[in-house]
Amino acid sequence: MPEDDIRQIMADETARLYAPPDLVNRVIRSTRRRKTNRIRLATLATAVAVAGVAAPAYLILSPGSASLQGSGVGAPGDVSATSQPDTTDQAAQEPPAIVVPADDDPAPEERDLGDLGDGKAFGHVRVGYLPDGLQWSHWSLDFGDKYTTSWNYDGDKNGFYCVQIYVHEGPEAVQEVDERQRAYREEGKGKEVTIGDRTGYLVTQWVGEDGMKGTPTLILNMGEKRRAEIMFSPVYAKKFTGAKAIDAELKKIAEGLTADN
Amino acid sequence: MSSAEDDEFAAFVAARGTSLLRVAYLTSGNEGEAEDLLQTALERAYRNWDRVRYDNPEPYVRRIIVNTSIDRARRRAILRIIPMHTPPEPSPHETDVDLRHVLMDTLRALPPRQRAVIVLRYWEDLSEAQTAEILGCSAGTVKSQASKALAKLRTALGGRSSEGMIRNVHA
Repeated sequence: MPEDDIRQIMADETARLYAPPDLVNRVIRSTRRRKTNRIRLATLATAVAVAGVAAPAYLILSPGSASLQGSGVGAPGDVSATSQPDTTDQAAQEPPAIVVPADDDPAPEERDLGDLGDGKAFGHVRVGYLPDGLQWSHWSLDFGDKYTTSWNYDGDKNGFYCVQIYVHEGPEAVQEVDERQRAYREEGKGKEVTIGDRTGYLVTQWVGEDGMKGTPTLILNMGEKRRAEIMFSPVYAKKFTGAKAIDAELKKIAEGLTADN
Repeated sequence: MSSAEDDEFAAFVAARGTSLLRVAYLTSGNEGEAEDLLQTALERAYRNWDRVRYDNPEPYVRRIIVNTSIDRARRRAILRIIPMHTPPEPSPHETDVDLRHVLMDTLRALPPRQRAVIVLRYWEDLSEAQTAEILGCSAGTVKSQASKALAKLRTALGGRSSEGMIRNVHA
């Protein structure tokens, strides 16, 4: 079939479509509303912190979290790195690994993993290696069958993550990761790797925006009932000299990641 | 954002909104989804307009549309919200317009990245290198994905002449 035919068919299919006349107003209104809500949320978080009560100022959601199912991971309008007042630009540069749900999305139950000390042991896993210069961000989330924490340069829980590890445990959580990996494989995206006597899958996930390629990730098979996703933020990934260097570093972290059961 | 920048943004949307909506529709295969994709991408562009305006904002918005569409489609497939389907077997009496629908169904049923490649290459007329840049992959990957997608589209049409179909649709 000539490619010109495809062009013509697509032209026929789209000829009736026109951008709605109020599109600009909708975009501007929606953007301003989101900004206002972020500021409101940050003010609330600050007040709670002053009162000495631990309250997550932002959420990092699992790829399968309910609030992501409507718009999907990577919906730029839903992305915000933190709830600090002036995060608009930062949000644009940060990956969808960190997501604040849309205004009307229900907040998932929020629990953290407590004080993790140096952050190297959390849940049922222990991190044996991290790149130089990183420290625990003092941030974590615990969804029961999924939990996560991250590391960055300054240990500031409101700062951006450099490395984040997501651990999935139990049949449903593991199945979700396996299905996602299968989809990547079928699309020819990513590659199989071996980490010692374990297997893994290297892939760049989610949306690459602002000239970035997405979130470099190593999905590690830690046994029948556990998978770990080791992720570099796209911003952090840029400090490496190329994909090979990123892959090598992700593998080193995977090699050092062990489970206590 | 200043009033002048707002005006500039509005002018951009007025000039390119429909074209970008059509890209969103072709990559998502759904009108409602297309409008949402476009609005989402434009919100991002508006927030970063002070940076984006100095370059050509259209590739920026297009990249967000395409990548977001791929990501959403992938997630839906994973969640099995919408099952992947194969195009129906054409009946002997179907019209040429039906054949066009078969082809569009096949386009919708392509894996999201293959669909994006077809849209970017044959609707947006982007080169392999430009398409690769948007999708964050190599030109070789674009070539192979396009080849696979075209093969599926040919298979959907079977032995029928698409030239005749096009001619009749426009008659």
